[in-house]
Amino acid sequence: MAKNNKKLFILLTIICLQACTIISPDWLKINGINPCWPVILLLPFSLRNSPRKAAIGSIFLGIFVDSFTIGDASYIPSLFILSLVWSAYGLHNKKIELFLNIGLMAIFGTAFVGLSLWFQKIIIYSILRNNWFHAWSFHVLISEVIITGLVAPFFSSWLLLTYKKN
Amino acid sequence: MIKARGKSRFWIIFFMGALLFGIRWTKGAGYLDLYSILLKPILPGTAQREWIKQGENIERSIRLKLLEDDNNRLRRALSLKESNFEQRISAAVISRSSRNWWKQLEINKGSKVGVLKGQTVIGPGGVIGLVDSTTPLTARVRLLTDPGHQLGAWIDRTKQHGVLTGMGTNRPKLIFLNTNGLAKIGDAVTTSPASTLLPPNLTIGIVQFVNEKALPSPYAIVQLTASPEAIDWVQILKNNGQK
Repeated sequence: MAKNNKKLFILLTIICLQACTIISPDWLKINGINPCWPVILLLPFSLRNSPRKAAIGSIFLGIFVDSFTIGDASYIPSLFILSLVWSAYGLHNKKIELFLNIGLMAIFGTAFVGLSLWFQKIIIYSILRNNWFHAWSFHVLISEVIITGLVAPFFSSWLLLTYKKN
Repeated sequence: MIKARGKSRFWIIFFMGALLFGIRWTKGAGYLDLYSILLKPILPGTAQREWIKQGENIERSIRLKLLEDDNNRLRRALSLKESNFEQRISAAVISRSSRNWWKQLEINKGSKVGVLKGQTVIGPGGVIGLVDSTTPLTARVRLLTDPGHQLGAWIDRTKQHGVLTGMGTNRPKLIFLNTNGLAKIGDAVTTSPASTLLPPNLTIGIVQFVNEKALPSPYAIVQLTASPEAIDWVQILKNNGQK
């Protein structure tokens, strides 16, 4: 029964992620920027699972999220590293459901994902190397960090508790 | 008594003469003004003015059609892309990510109705992007503002070609291919008529800033005339693209 619940939960998570990425509700945006949904979903999963499982999960999540974006920059490298770090942290810390703790991890995770995407774009598109100050990148990075930091404590904590129950 | 009558006759003749002289001098202006005032109630009204305007518009659209046909015939002769604006597909924006790491739109028309990768997407105001990928029912549009997105464009006034490059902001950069007589602030930027990929003469934006001394090549900052953040309906031009 519990196993079925878990499958259903994973399925719902995948549907929710897709819906959140595509619909991108306006009321959940700051300056037109969405929360970093992959981070919000990966964080509880990594904290509750072994590094190997978390790493595999992050690769699948990365492939899934990448399919909704254009261009060549990918979520996979940053999510992979984050999954290993969070998983290791989750194994050694028992009281990780703390509201602010989750929020802080999501903030650092989002910043890391954002910087990774920015760095990849600089490597891929030579035109971005002409000027190293990209106002739009700072704008996206800061807004994404803020909105993810606000949303993650609710969503990720809830997901973490549900993982625990299942 | 006879003297007084003679005096009044003199004044009558004097006024009549002055009046005639005035009419002659003003070339009958008073008469004409009076005539126009009297005629005003029976002059063609606003309705007639609208009919005339409508007629003028019809005449203009016929002329435009003829010129477009002529233009297409000449472009065909030169093996350039044609601008057949009748082949358009209207689509609604179902998802918008115009400020994120990727600047893209999802629209509700796909390969089922003939949308192909590489087709030009326009909104009210001008070009907003190109189709990046399609599904049977939807298509993903890469906006002109997406970092690294490059498109051939030119300044119509100076006939200078350049590469319009998305920089992540709402103002893409037009990197010029040569160095002299480039552009002025306020110049219109359109798709190049020599383009073999895009339909010609589609409005892209207005030049807002020019840096002629920039290295390695001079550039202009272009303000797009169609704002992807405010557009809910777009049109896909069917005359380019690949399967």
